[in-house]
Amino acid sequence: MKRMTEHDEDEIDRVLSREDEILPSSGFAVSVMDAVRREAATPPPIPFPWKLALPGLVVAGLTLVLTLVAGVAVIAQLGRTSTAAELSMSWQSVLTSIFRTGTGLGLQRDLESAAIWTALALLATWVSVKLSMRFASGWE
Amino acid sequence: MSASDDQTDVERVLAGDVSAYEGIVRCWQGPLINLAYRFCRDRGRAEEMAQEAFLRAYRGLGQWRGDAVFSTWLFALATNLYRSELRRIPARIVSVPLEDIDEPADARASDGGLEDRDRDLAVRRAVITLPAKYREALILFYFHDMDVATAARSLGLPEGTVKARLFRGRDMLRGKLPQLMAVPRLKEAL
Repeated sequence: MKRMTEHDEDEIDRVLSREDEILPSSGFAVSVMDAVRREAATPPPIPFPWKLALPGLVVAGLTLVLTLVAGVAVIAQLGRTSTAAELSMSWQSVLTSIFRTGTGLGLQRDLESAAIWTALALLATWVSVKLSMRFASGWE
Repeated sequence: MSASDDQTDVERVLAGDVSAYEGIVRCWQGPLINLAYRFCRDRGRAEEMAQEAFLRAYRGLGQWRGDAVFSTWLFALATNLYRSELRRIPARIVSVPLEDIDEPADARASDGGLEDRDRDLAVRRAVITLPAKYREALILFYFHDMDVATAARSLGLPEGTVKARLFRGRDMLRGKLPQLMAVPRLKEAL
């Protein structure tokens, strides 16, 4: 590209610095002030209640971490103790236990396990309902 | 209006007196509309963009710390908005190919070339066709009476970057308008 000559620079400076000024239309300031007054009259957006949400977020975070840790631990244990054959054996034992649910000991264990999980689910539901109610009361 | 007047108005607005903002609007409406016009070359759109800039300034008034002059803060905010708007919806003139700009078939016609007005229009249109970063540097530089420091503050860029963009932008303009630049102005020729 050719170098710009001094004349060209002067010409560009002359043209671009000598712009015609446009005047604002007569109602511009009034229109802006109307918009500003509308803005001022609008209530500010409700901020997210971080203080109220914090306990729930902490609990959720801890639950997630514990779940991940438990998952990793189970996988690590499986990796240590089982080969493919052992795995198939363990699956066989699992299937066997499933089919034994009719027996007294199997049924009792299953019921205990189900009760624990049901209690945990109820607890989680209760916590989430309480938190929701707390948030709702916090808005007012 | 002086900087202290701006500060007084801002303090009143922040204290809850919305009507005090009218002083700021009346003082800066001309510059903000003209700056917007240089970006979009459309009077109606320029007023819309300037109105939005005033609204944003109103919303963010509390963020002006007073360490910079109010107008510097206002121009930086408006420039930022105009740049975003033009990226979102480019100026209509951008779609006009440079070849469509009125130029004489023979640049060295017997009347000495383009009339000043046509040449000025062609140069301004050529500015709009430049890539955004060069266009913005040129617009701000000439809007602020060729003050690189003020243009740099409005763009939020180091002065060196703005100088480099100005140099490159002018060079590109020269490349886009070789015929126009080669023709001496009529009154110079006489």
